[in-house]
Amino acid sequence: MDELEAIKVTFFQECEELLADLEGGLLAMQDGNDDGDTVNAVFRAVHSIKGGAGAFGLEPLVRFAHVFETLLDALRSNEIPSTPDLTAVLLRASDVLADHVSAARGLGTVDMAASAAMAAELKIWTDPNAAPAPAAAAPVETSQYVDAAPIVIGADDDGMDDDDLGFDFQPMTISLDAQAEDAAVLEDNVWTVSIRPKSDLYRKANETALLLRELSRLGPVQATLDDSALPALEFLDPEAAYVTWSVRLETEQGEEAIREVFEFVDGDCDLEITRGEAPVADVLASLLNVAAPAPEPETAFETASAPETALIEAPVEALAPVVEAAAPAPVTAPAPAAPPVAANAPAAPAAKPAQIDVPGPGQSVIRVDPERIDHLIDLVGELVINQAMLAQRVGEYGIAPSSNLAMGLDELEQLTRQIQDSVMAIRAQPVKSVFQRMPRLVREVANMTGKQARLVMDGENTEVDKTVIERLADPITHMLRNAIDHGLESPEERKAAGKNPEGVVRLAALHRSGRIVIEVQDDGKGINRERVLSIAVKKGLISPDLTLTDEEIDNLIFLPGFSTADKISDVSGRGVGMDVVKRSVQALGGRISITSRPGLGSTFTLSLPLTLAVLDGMVVDVAGETLVIPLACIVESLRPKAEEIRPLGPTGSVLAVRDSFVPLIDVGLTLNYRTTSPPATDGVVLLVEGEDGSRAALVADAIHGQRQVVIKSLEQNYQQVEGVAAATILGDGRVALILDVDAVINLRRRGPPLPSDPTLIAAE
Amino acid sequence: MSTAIALPETLDLKASAPLKQAFVERRGQNIEVHADQVRRLGGLCLQVLLAARKAWDEDGKPFLITAPSEAFVETIRLFGAEGALLQTDIQGAAS
Repeated sequence: MDELEAIKVTFFQECEELLADLEGGLLAMQDGNDDGDTVNAVFRAVHSIKGGAGAFGLEPLVRFAHVFETLLDALRSNEIPSTPDLTAVLLRASDVLADHVSAARGLGTVDMAASAAMAAELKIWTDPNAAPAPAAAAPVETSQYVDAAPIVIGADDDGMDDDDLGFDFQPMTISLDAQAEDAAVLEDNVWTVSIRPKSDLYRKANETALLLRELSRLGPVQATLDDSALPALEFLDPEAAYVTWSVRLETEQGEEAIREVFEFVDGDCDLEITRGEAPVADVLASLLNVAAPAPEPETAFETASAPETALIEAPVEALAPVVEAAAPAPVTAPAPAAPPVAANAPAAPAAKPAQIDVPGPGQSVIRVDPERIDHLIDLVGELVINQAMLAQRVGEYGIAPSSNLAMGLDELEQLTRQIQDSVMAIRAQPVKSVFQRMPRLVREVANMTGKQARLVMDGENTEVDKTVIERLADPITHMLRNAIDHGLESPEERKAAGKNPEGVVRLAALHRSGRIVIEVQDDGKGINRERVLSIAVKKGLISPDLTLTDEEIDNLIFLPGFSTADKISDVSGRGVGMDVVKRSVQALGGRISITSRPGLGSTFTLSLPLTLAVLDGMVVDVAGETLVIPLACIVESLRPKAEEIRPLGPTGSVLAVRDSFVPLIDVGLTLNYRTTSPPATDGVVLLVEGEDGSRAALVADAIHGQRQVVIKSLEQNYQQVEGVAAATILGDGRVALILDVDAVINLRRRGPPLPSDPTLIAAE
Repeated sequence: MSTAIALPETLDLKASAPLKQAFVERRGQNIEVHADQVRRLGGLCLQVLLAARKAWDEDGKPFLITAPSEAFVETIRLFGAEGALLQTDIQGAAS
């Protein structure tokens, strides 16, 4: 069972990817890119999900996927035209499918009524004449996912067939009515043609491909290839025939027409034409290449004619047992060869990965338990600290830098660093995994708020450490919700303002100075500053006589207890305000800010460190304390001359740096290490640049040097300290605090602190 | 070590023996099979491709079919051999 579970896990991982492909394809179609390849890719995604789900007996999922797939099949064969309306329906269907997958996984539930309604809608698209009645019966279905014994099906692993693989999914169609229809198809139109070419066929310059192509003229075909007789490459006679085919053909034409196709190869090809499906077990056997017990092709195909009636009737009765109990799988049950399959059940999962495993035989991808990587990263972190301590000890002994020992240590340091970089690279992931959840969110929020929104994404491949990725989803979700709910206007308002009724929300990721920056931009009305200001005053968040810049007003929305919505909407009023978002972002050493232009829209900017594990820093001494200043923030360091320092106001002073003045901040004073600052000329000045591009000159007593440090979270181990981003352990084993440069700048800039405002970000 | 084979336009009876030979010679290396030129693919060469694929799988070496032509993909599907010969990445490329 464990093995099966493991395969199941892989299946769900794949489902994630497939769902993303599905959504990506549908979005491409929405953008007008509805060429055959895109539609095929979309179809394949749904088909593959259905295939895998069938294997695990995930009934409701299979049933929904089947209806979905049927419509997509009609779409790709151009039976129905691709329209924006249809794409919108398909997108919603993909959301329902995603819900089914989650439910099957045990995460959440499916609204079966909604699912049934969706299925009914899909059916109407497939066949406008179809009465929606069958779907009405669907809500009765239980949404329970039963861990059924694996219904081993011959699911083709790619879904690129031209037709639904009737034999595997026939019993799982949506309703009894549909079942009956399918049964009708089975009886009348479906043929199984087994083709076993002889070597002479090829020698006479005939071609199986041509035969198959001729067959496909009669109707949709699905060939199943049996290569069990194929010898190893070295022993392969390149001119001998080994591979045989079993072709499922759906045609209105009779057996004669099928035989005609093979007229020219008569004698050079063993042919068997039977009405109905090939028994699942036989096809399976050939598909899975169950080596030893594989029946002789002869017998395999001879049995083909027998069980069709059983197949037709069985599913109707067997449907319920599957849902209620993990009883015999309906697919295999009716087939006469069921016992061998059942007996092979333990073998089946083993055979399965070949079909399920996405990376394929190339093995270009390894799935690794993230915990192992985390552990490795922890260990490497310890190694870095250890190496630093060792270097320091050796230094204390006054060993010459040119000595073998010192040189060996240098090499060790480089190696350690390379190991660390490599290990971190393992954990780096593109933000795509988070971004791809967002189109759905935008659709849902837009639906709920009655707005029209289009999401444009940029920089999905920007890589960032996994630890950061996991924490991105929440803030992005909130920023997007906010952008649509508060930023975008209603379609009517937009029309009145001369805008496209469909608003555009842009979600972008980029690297900027060693951090990842996420931007959420809308083309809505922008922040109504008057209202924001009046609300902030009314709620007592700021004092009425305060004069604020536009940016400062915009950023008031991050204050705790601030909500501008006239009415609490479903979307934004869920009790999580922007202040919570801001706090959680700050806890990660990130910042969030907003800029807005009235009538043109707003932009949220979120920036986070690329990794939460290591940091390059400058080790400095302040009032006897050792601090680390992130190197990414430091522009330069200098020793100030007395004439460069000018007083400003009663306590402040600025430093003249090449034609500009930057505020001089004594770190010791700001962090309350001391109460009076020594003259700045006694210390060292580090010119730093904050997230918003503002500069400041931090005064420290001395610089110890540059070092890579392993970040240890203060929040996790202690609590958040203002002005301090995190802590680290130095080479000598002492703990040093890592400075939060922006917070230090803001602490100083804020002057008389506002009563409830932790940090008010304002751009200069 | 990695190597590549460029498949010819026509993969018929005449092409199957050289194709097999080409694969046998490259056994044990990572291989890329360029299928962009293929216009016709017959059953014999399909067998060689299938056998080669198996051999590479056994060796645990990557076997990549790159830039498959439309005709190649279509015929592979017709043969029902997409599972073995059109990996996901190829499918993606074809999409």
